[in-house]
Amino acid sequence: MLFSQARKRTVVSTATATRVARVDGFVVLPGPARVALLRLGKVSGHGTLLAWEDVQGFGPDAVTVATDAVIRPPRDDLEQRAEDNDLDILGKRLLSEQGTELGTVTDVDFDPETGAVTSLITKTDTVAGQRLIGLGSYAAVVSA
Amino acid sequence: MTTPAPALVLRASELIGRPVVTLGGELIAEIKDVVFERAGGRIAGFTLRNPGLFSRSRKDALPWTGVHGLGRDAVMVADETVFIPAKELAPRKQARKADVLHDRVLTDNGRDLGRVVDVVLYGGTGLEVVGYEVEASETLGTAAQRVLIPLPDTMAVSGEHLIVPAAATEFVSEDLAGFGAAVDAFRSRLREEAS
Repeated sequence: MLFSQARKRTVVSTATATRVARVDGFVVLPGPARVALLRLGKVSGHGTLLAWEDVQGFGPDAVTVATDAVIRPPRDDLEQRAEDNDLDILGKRLLSEQGTELGTVTDVDFDPETGAVTSLITKTDTVAGQRLIGLGSYAAVVSA
Repeated sequence: MTTPAPALVLRASELIGRPVVTLGGELIAEIKDVVFERAGGRIAGFTLRNPGLFSRSRKDALPWTGVHGLGRDAVMVADETVFIPAKELAPRKQARKADVLHDRVLTDNGRDLGRVVDVVLYGGTGLEVVGYEVEASETLGTAAQRVLIPLPDTMAVSGEHLIVPAAATEFVSEDLAGFGAAVDAFRSRLREEAS
């Protein structure tokens, strides 16, 4: 499933059967490349992060969680930067470990069952997700 | 020992201003200048400045051995721990004088090929100094003002002169395109002669 397709998906609590948030973004971590957190919008509490482990199902129509209590604020620096959108992989420059720019990440393909990132997509290229070795505020870095 | 030619051939001067990026994707510095070793024209490393428009130079430096990858768009390092204090890279007074730039290149049979104006490298992850760009002397008999001279993979060096095998004059290029092939051809010739 592509990030572009999965964005804006509704987050539903199975405890109350109500809509509790909307998916605004994805936090990818390398080694192995995976969706670690979802960034949410339209939340009622003050937290906006949802850990992948707390996702019950990433379905074609909705993302389900057991309860909206799992939606939480950042716990550490990394998560704070994720919430600030500093680490959003979309729009990030893609650099090889040899220091050559490969383009800009325009979309990401991931496995909705596991959260594993299967590929990074640029305008001209598709790079296997397992090649992602680093993701910072300046660039996403991939191995040769 | 045959290594396929890496695709990327760079002039050392091109690296000035290039971003220094960690494998974790963070921009941590910019290349301020290239520092050459006292003898032999190899690169000791790079001085750094902070990224940005009104950047300050820094007291730390990137040693040659700390470079992970050298590309067209960035200099890649594992992380900031590869930096060393700038004064360890080269004592300041020496660094200014030791510059390989302005040294003269002589062949081992005593021909002066010209004055070094830049150093040519293989980029990517197989970093190596592979040639000098010189302001050509008349000896070379080229119309071009600047030419690229390939270096052998091992070289005898003195402080004052850069000595290259006489055969280097047969593998001179006028631009970077094709220079990688010239370096390889020159080196395999030297190996043939040695065996």
